[in-house]
Amino acid sequence: MRPRRTWVGVLVAVLLVVLAFASLFVGVSDVSPSSVLTGGPDSDAAFLLVASRIPRTVAVLLAGASLGIAGLIMQMLVRNKFVEPGTTGVSEFATLGMLATMVFLPGLAVVGKMGVAAVFGLFGTWVFLRVVRVVPVRQLVLVPLVGIMLGGVVGAVTTFFAYRLDLLQSLGQWSQGSFATIMQGRYEFLWIAGLMVVLAWVAADRFSVIGLGEEFATNLGLDYRRVVAVGMVIIAVITAAVLVTAGMIPFLGLVVPNIVSLIIGDNVRRSIPWVAGIGAVFVLACDLIARVVRFPYEIPLGVIVGIIGAALFLWLLLRRRSRAH
Amino acid sequence: MRTAVRPLAALALPLSAVLALSACGGSDAAAETAASEAETVTFTWDRNIAAEDADPQYEETTVEVPKNPENIVVFDMASLDTIGALGGEVSGAPLDSVPEYLQDALADDAFNVGTLFEADIVEIEAQQPDLIVIAGRSSALYEDLSEIAPTVDLSLRGSYTETLERNTTFLGEVLGAEDEAEAAIAELEEGIEEARAATADAGTGLGLMVSGGELSALSPSRDSSDARGARGGLIYDAFGVEPVVEDIRAATHGEPVSFEFLLETNPDHLWVVDRDAATNTEGAQAAAAVLDNEIVKQTTAYQNDQIIYLDPTAWYVVFGGVETTKIMIDDVTQIAG
Repeated sequence: MRPRRTWVGVLVAVLLVVLAFASLFVGVSDVSPSSVLTGGPDSDAAFLLVASRIPRTVAVLLAGASLGIAGLIMQMLVRNKFVEPGTTGVSEFATLGMLATMVFLPGLAVVGKMGVAAVFGLFGTWVFLRVVRVVPVRQLVLVPLVGIMLGGVVGAVTTFFAYRLDLLQSLGQWSQGSFATIMQGRYEFLWIAGLMVVLAWVAADRFSVIGLGEEFATNLGLDYRRVVAVGMVIIAVITAAVLVTAGMIPFLGLVVPNIVSLIIGDNVRRSIPWVAGIGAVFVLACDLIARVVRFPYEIPLGVIVGIIGAALFLWLLLRRRSRAH
Repeated sequence: MRTAVRPLAALALPLSAVLALSACGGSDAAAETAASEAETVTFTWDRNIAAEDADPQYEETTVEVPKNPENIVVFDMASLDTIGALGGEVSGAPLDSVPEYLQDALADDAFNVGTLFEADIVEIEAQQPDLIVIAGRSSALYEDLSEIAPTVDLSLRGSYTETLERNTTFLGEVLGAEDEAEAAIAELEEGIEEARAATADAGTGLGLMVSGGELSALSPSRDSSDARGARGGLIYDAFGVEPVVEDIRAATHGEPVSFEFLLETNPDHLWVVDRDAATNTEGAQAAAAVLDNEIVKQTTAYQNDQIIYLDPTAWYVVFGGVETTKIMIDDVTQIAG
């Protein structure tokens, strides 16, 4: 297996570099490597690279990497391959938090909104973990189903209030991720999500152990509750940071860790860079498509990720089923 | 038939084709019978009977409404505006959506009929209106509301000015305020002409909607029978602004664009509709704050101080009606030649 794994790793790394490079030089304005270097007649190039292209590319990288990690951690906590913030109600709770800030704390700065969204997301993770405890876990698909139902209920509550308060269209904006207006000064909160990735990496071995079950972890002398709490914070903060800056990006946290698990297995420490890398590649590719399909206009990224992510998710599901028989 | 093509002296443009047709179709005999009973005004329009908006199917619909109705319900802010401007009063409206400057058009004990999109059928039935006016957002309510009272749809048809004239003339007749309607139309025509003169040689413009920190380019509503191109897009259609890009799709909320798009297309004027301000979305970042960044500062419009913030209520919520059009004219004439 080893040579094949190395080969995939090289492929991911090359894709990451190529796509990141493309992301820097695809856009409405004409910014090419040569125009940046020479300055030339189009002196805007260097300025745009710094003010718009680099921020957007970095934002996409951070969002893609961190959402993958959020999914991975969630899967470890629940010991189920079909959960991620979007299938467990966490995203919906965070969105409800955003709505709450608009209604009750309208003057709040973005960091405050993110904080409230994170607290709601944390609560959502807690509720989900509680609910899952009383559900017989044997049925693999039942767990995400419960999560999706939970998310549906919370989403309905959010939609109801948004409807009553005439905020439906604002709600629509958060639920459709987009990097179209990312530029300097409008994405920096994603670095917090990046920080969470580092935290996840530091605590990686603990999450691997958690993934073996509470009893096993406790027997190994691990403070189960504390590790779960750290995981919940990582998930909630990543979800909130991405929601505040770009909006909801579905399926990513689900699909990417599953693909990685197919390639290298379930060791968290080893899979973290893979999940981060493939997550970043996935969102980079989707964001490029969003920019190019209706050039010079854009398509919401969430739509593209939704289509591709849903297809991959189906493939994973069907593949699993054919293996089972 | 009371609806007639009267010699509107100051009127340069003809009435909308539908109205003219319906007027020509009526014979004198029919007019006399109608007059001998309760007086009515006839309104004819092409009603979209398709289930999906994307694929409209039109059916000519004619409705006779009573003259001088006592109890008018409107779901359309533009009609509320015009009724108020012609000295009439409305007894029912989506009260939460009525902007400050149109409050006078409401009766003192006006009741709430729901929202711009949904009707409180029970309440409306209880209030027994004589006339219900819908348009645009509320067009889909026709089936339900027409069972309660004569219902007309004053949605945008043809150009903005044509619709404005058609609706003002019709409502003037309904209210028995034909002269006021005529005077209002003349005044607005003149104002619009002045605004068009101001934009004529002023270079290119882009209608931009800002909402939740996101930008969308508004359509030049070339297909003017489709109200979806309206709103901020009216700057092109009604006020003659030369669009900096032609092919923006006629979508209600425009097409998502990036800040780079503004720099690259670089219009001479940026006409900004702050959607969150229009819908009173509290705590949303003001459009001016969203546009206050390094990339926008490189644009010609910014450097020449030609980023014009349009009255959000007038351009996004109401867009139509006598008072509103005056506000729109004032907005457009801010442009520097």
